[in-house]
Formats: sequence, structure tokens, C-alpha cells
Amino acid sequence: MSRRPPRGEYIETDTGNKVARKATLVGTQNIMLGGKTVIQPEVMIRGDLIRSIQSSSSSSSGGTPNNTAVAIGRYCFLSRASCLRPPGRLYKGAFTYMPLRMGDHVFVGPSSVIQAASIGNHVHIGANVVVGEFAIIKDYVRVLDETIVPPNMVIPSFSIVAGQPARVIGEVPEGGHEAFELRELYKTVGNNPQPALS
Amino acid sequence: MSSKRHSILPAVSAGPKPPVHFSSSITIADSALLTGTNLITISSESVIHPRAKLDSLAGRITIGRRCVVHERTMIGAIGTSGKVTETAVTLGDYVTVEVAASIEAGNTIIGEGTTVGVGSKIGAGAVIGKHCTLTPHTEIPAGEVIPDFTVMYSNGMRRVDKRGVADLKNKGQARQIDVLRRMIPSNPAKFT
Repeated sequence: MSRRPPRGEYIETDTGNKVARKATLVGTQNIMLGGKTVIQPEVMIRGDLIRSIQSSSSSSSGGTPNNTAVAIGRYCFLSRASCLRPPGRLYKGAFTYMPLRMGDHVFVGPSSVIQAASIGNHVHIGANVVVGEFAIIKDYVRVLDETIVPPNMVIPSFSIVAGQPARVIGEVPEGGHEAFELRELYKTVGNNPQPALS
Repeated sequence: MSSKRHSILPAVSAGPKPPVHFSSSITIADSALLTGTNLITISSESVIHPRAKLDSLAGRITIGRRCVVHERTMIGAIGTSGKVTETAVTLGDYVTVEVAASIEAGNTIIGEGTTVGVGSKIGAGAVIGKHCTLTPHTEIPAGEVIPDFTVMYSNGMRRVDKRGVADLKNKGQARQIDVLRRMIPSNPAKFT
């Protein structure tokens, strides 16, 4: 009779990341997790799509070139079935993928597909959202459900965007900044979930 | 100590192993899912990303040259009509099927150079023309015929793509495939 503890649904790392066993992470050595990040089941992160053109300065400095495909900040929350994919384009005559950088406290809703170039801090992305390639989302943005952000769009800070294609429909009100904090949500997930504060 | 894991890929239950006809120059990821009973043909230099699903239960699947099929796609899904025809899905050359797109079986034809956007759903028997662009989350009803060079966007609106960049797009896709062939470890032997 085995005395091992039952296998939890999540793998909890030293830095506090909670990665579901059923998440699909390809190329994990190129994925940087900031710490206290939750990755739910059925999430897919493509870490194998790395930059294929290295700039000359990195090779002359002598260290190993930075091969990050996806960099995620602290307290991020990736909901079920979402997909993070680095954007790719023709750059100087050759096709290359660029790194996808996410800030802290980013919530990605279920079934969303994110191919942005960079996402700022405290961003809330709803369910079924598609963020096109090389879009730039600044800080404190709320992207509502089912939005389609076209490629190369820049979304300024503190805006609320919705629609297909996405348009800025409003601004985050003065007192709304605390709603973007994800520390409480982090505690409710995992092998020992704490009940959410009512 | 344990060797460093390169990927976390949970196992997925697979169906019957289909007969396949691969060209020698294709790139097919190890964790692509090929199921079904009919023939799956993939022509030269096409790329199939990990976790793409090709299901030939409802009929043959033919993928043209230099196509790119992204992850989480479902080609050959059995739609609501449930009919079983001889050729389920045909993709022309240079077609790109993006993440989470779903193409139903039933004589569905996607023309050359078309881009099927993220999360799109193409109904059974639809015929999409050449060099079309379907933006993300487009839904094409069953049996619909889309003329060449059409752009379908925001909930069913259409316009004609008059840029004339078909050749440039094809060249761009060829360059993209060159890079992808080096990046994705290919394992066609697993499926033959």
C-alpha cells in the first residue's frame, strides 16, 4: 500500500508558480515564469518558437544568447485552454519570432489566444479573446470578453477595449485599480486552495 | 538527478491510426494528433505544429504544398450534418490554418493561399476561394461559397482584397516554413 501523498492537480515550484499537470508547455527552457503565477490545465505555451535571428551585439559579448520565447511576470493567471504564442514576422528579409513579454498581475481568460508583442502590468483579458500578432497592451487595461485585437494595435494605459475589431470604449475609473490585483486569486487555486474572500 | 524536461506534454487518448501519405520534406511535430480511417495526404514542405488534430474518420484529408497548420486546430471534425463523404477536407497550397481553427468534414475545400484566422469555424461542404483572409473567430456556415480574394471580418462582413500581394504572401510563407522546419523537431516516422 503506497504512502505517497495523492498527486495534486498542480505542480508548485519553489518560486511559488502553480503549473497544472495537464497544461501543455512546449520548450520549457525558453519560458520564464516570474513567480506566484498560476497556469491552469489545458493551457498551451509555445516556448519553442524562439528568435531565429540573433543580433550581433549578443554574440560579441560572449555569453549565451538570450533565448526567451515567453516571459511572464509575477502573480499572473492563465485560465483554462488559453494559448500563449510568440508573434512572428518578416524582419530584415527573414522570418523570425519575437519574444512575448507579459508584466505582473495579468489575468488571461479561458480559451483566449495571445500573440502580442508585449503586455503591461495589471491587465485583465477576458474569455475567448484573440490578441493579434505584435499588439502592444499597456498597463491597467481591461479587455472585455470575445474581443479581437487586430495585429499591431497599441492599446493605451487605463483603457477598456471591446469589439471585433477592438476599439477603446471607455476608461478605467479612478477607484478601479484594486480590481486588477491578483494576489487573492492566486491563493484560491492549487493543491491547497484557500477559500476566496467574500 | 532527473534530466531536464524540455516540454510538458500530457498524453492524449488517440483513435485509430490512419493510413498516411507524406512527402519527404514535410515537418510534422511529434505531438500532432492524426486519427481516423481514411487516407491523410500531406504534400511537400508543409508544417504541422504540435497538438494539431487531423481526423479522417469522415473522409480523406489532403493538405497542399507549403501549408502551415497551427496547434489546437481540428481538421476533419464531424459537423452537425454527420455526412460521410469520400474527400473530407482539401487544403490548397500555401494555406495557413491558425490556432484553434476548426474545419468540418464534408467536401470542404480551402483555396490556395487562404489564411483561416484564429478560432474560426468552417462548416461542412464550404468552398473558400483562393487568397482569402478569414479574420479570427469567423464562422462560415455549411455549404457556403466564398469567392476568391475575399476578406471576411467582424461578424460576417466581407470585402474584396485588392492589394495584389498574393505572390509576396506566398514568398513570405516559404520563408516562414524554412524557419519552422529548423525549429520544430519533425517525426514523420511516428505516423507512417
